[in-house]
Amino acid sequence: MTPTRRQFIQSAAAASAVLGAPFILSAQQAGQRKFKTALIGCGWWGRNILREAIESKRCDITALCDVDERVLEQTQDQVNDLTGSTPKTFKDFRELLDRGKPDIAIIATPDHWHALQSIAALKAGAHVYVEKPTGHTVNESRAVVKAARDTGKVVQVGLHRRVSPHHVSARRLFQAGDVGQLGMVRCFVDAGGGKESPAENAEPPEGMDWDMWCGPGPLRPYNGKLHPGGWRNFLDYANGQLGDWGVHWLDQVQWFTGEKYPKRIFSSAGRPIKGPPVNDGKRMTGDAPDHQVVVYEFEQFTCTWEHRQFAGNATEKHRLGVYFYGTQGILHVGWRDGWTFYPTTGNKTVHEDAQLEQPDGHNIKLLWADFLAAIDERRRPVADIEPAHRASAMAMLGMLSWKAGRSLTWDGDKEQIVGDPEANAMLARVYRKPWVYPAL
Amino acid sequence: MLRIGRTRRVLVHRRRLSPPLCVLLFATFALTARGADWPNWRGPDHNGISAESDWLDHWPAGGPPVAWKANVGIGFSGFCVAEGRVYTAGNADETDTLFCFDAASGRPLWKYSYPAELGDKYFEGGPTATAACEAGRVYFDSRWGDVFCFDAVTGKVIWTTQVQRETGCHVPDWGFAGSPLLFRNLVVLNVGDAGVALDKATGKIVWKSGKKDAGYSTPVPVQFNGRSIGVFADGAAYLAVDLETGKELWRVRWLTQGGINVADPLVSGDKVMISSGYGKGSELLKMNADAEPTRVWKNREFSTHISPGVLLGHYVYGDSGQASEGGPLVCVDFDTGEQKWEYPHVGSGGLTAAGGKLIAMTERGEILVGPASPDGFHPTARAQVLGGKTWAPPVLANGRIYVRNAAGDIVCLDVSKK
Repeated sequence: MTPTRRQFIQSAAAASAVLGAPFILSAQQAGQRKFKTALIGCGWWGRNILREAIESKRCDITALCDVDERVLEQTQDQVNDLTGSTPKTFKDFRELLDRGKPDIAIIATPDHWHALQSIAALKAGAHVYVEKPTGHTVNESRAVVKAARDTGKVVQVGLHRRVSPHHVSARRLFQAGDVGQLGMVRCFVDAGGGKESPAENAEPPEGMDWDMWCGPGPLRPYNGKLHPGGWRNFLDYANGQLGDWGVHWLDQVQWFTGEKYPKRIFSSAGRPIKGPPVNDGKRMTGDAPDHQVVVYEFEQFTCTWEHRQFAGNATEKHRLGVYFYGTQGILHVGWRDGWTFYPTTGNKTVHEDAQLEQPDGHNIKLLWADFLAAIDERRRPVADIEPAHRASAMAMLGMLSWKAGRSLTWDGDKEQIVGDPEANAMLARVYRKPWVYPAL
Repeated sequence: MLRIGRTRRVLVHRRRLSPPLCVLLFATFALTARGADWPNWRGPDHNGISAESDWLDHWPAGGPPVAWKANVGIGFSGFCVAEGRVYTAGNADETDTLFCFDAASGRPLWKYSYPAELGDKYFEGGPTATAACEAGRVYFDSRWGDVFCFDAVTGKVIWTTQVQRETGCHVPDWGFAGSPLLFRNLVVLNVGDAGVALDKATGKIVWKSGKKDAGYSTPVPVQFNGRSIGVFADGAAYLAVDLETGKELWRVRWLTQGGINVADPLVSGDKVMISSGYGKGSELLKMNADAEPTRVWKNREFSTHISPGVLLGHYVYGDSGQASEGGPLVCVDFDTGEQKWEYPHVGSGGLTAAGGKLIAMTERGEILVGPASPDGFHPTARAQVLGGKTWAPPVLANGRIYVRNAAGDIVCLDVSKK
């Protein structure tokens, strides 16, 4: 069994006690190092990460990359406003890596770019902070793990729920055994919504490299539903809610329980409310399901994922999160509503509020600090590529099961679907030329 | 500087009157209690301030009486109140509908529908412009560039122009959100990178600008050094044009995430305050004799995402922070940018002012009324009048307050002193 984070911290503390002063001194020296930092993908979320990089005061933002000139210019202006310096701008990430030679590359592009760009950045010698999920298909995500290990660079994945104080304390409670024996886990994100209306295709904005945006994915016509934002609802470039919220909550399940992967996976989903996907050359809707249920069978418990984009969730107190069902009670871990433990004994519920950073209510600051500390200390970060890949793969396998229309038996050590060559082929996909699917 | 249009005429008249007559006239005006129309977005003076003063600003616990309710469909279109009629719009089943109601009773008088995408990316979607009414005609624009002129009484279409197709301008990511500005013979719209003007009588294009992204604000008309200028935002700047010719006079680079420059500038004398969300903050610009601006102050905290504030005396009152994040209503010194106070958990509900009081909506549909003062905000009246999300600012006209939410529920409150 791999050490839990708590064990890891304890052993790190013990090591530091043994090593004494020299260890602390080297950490201080390392603390003064500044990193040439580049951002690839300058949208809303990328800039949230960038702000934390700036606020850490240990990063010089030297280069920015986006395929949309408007976004690039806005971000350059913002960096200049906040720091007084003017980073170089690039529309092609390869050029940025080649000429910019960053120490750190932040990758916050749409999902279908995460793996290729992470691998390219690692090979160019950069440490990588990449958004989750770690890939669009399972094998490209595996290839990022390999590139990270081959290069020895640090890869922090944007699973900030591994550092948020209320998640850390909920996990402590869980691992102390307060929930009792775990029998079932339920991850869910529910909201209101209705039929999806198609939007007309349009010319890409002036100065946008739309071909590059589509990259290894299919070349769709430009549509405002895809950019800026919105691409999550398109399975050509992402994996819907499962590939977004799903990765966060499924990662929590693995991180809390120490289980690495499910043995069997089955998903049912559809678009009965949003309506059939439209892509007729003139107009477009998304094609991601408006609801999805995935059943994951683990060795010791069953885990379900459920999302719904209609009907709301008025029958329940919590709109999203994870329920851990154990013999001693139910632990709900949420977002803005912190965590709550409902004991079976009838004792009072126990609750802890979330401690989130503004404006967006996450904890990127803490995750960024851990990333820099991991580089300094030459250790694995809290949201290392390997567990992040496993959480991402869990989400991708859920989507794969729905696409394949059958249940999958998963050999998590070999990362193979057992006895199903057709489904196994769906662990990868054919890239659009000239992009080449990464080799394992 | 005088504001052009209605206000200027009022002020010119006032100069000609001797003070006692002036007082008498105003007293008579108040006694007849006709109040004031609100014929376009941000009201007759394009600043969010109503001239109305004789209205009920203390309510029983349940709020003021509800005069009428209606539903117009999804959207953020505000209210235009003129000549006893009120206009607003919504979307249902891929169709926008502009509604005309009897302002007092809510009786539907006419409606006009046309096909339109809901456009619900990251918000509920639907129309965002507010109709403008003048001389028996109503002007309205969709987010996708359909512009209409209606007979205000019958709803008959007098002309229609598809301004996006006519100009070839790129539709900004959330559509053309600004409302029509009526200026002399022109309908001026925030379309293109420095606006477009149509002939009021025919809908034909009189002047236009480049094809790059428009912003989401409505042109604010200003009289400056004998020139009529319009100040508004495109996707990358706040700028001023000569309203007669469309000639661009200045532009201040103002890059906001997503090009989301929404709030109308607040103008006083030679000063222009601009503000956007996404942590962009606000700035005060000072125009010189040629109307070219220089920067006076910057405030990173006061960040208007959606609805512009109001400027009363030397103080700005406005919502600050991102929509849906429950940011505060704040008061900022217009001359220095210094924040005076903040009143929490208001969100982006929008506000108007009348008789020295603020009428503020919270984003969750509560209406708050209280004196506008740099010393703090202490509501004297409040009522939960809507559920859901509210972004359209409340409108006070002729003793009625009109509010709506994103789902298109309309409530008309009776705040007249009977």
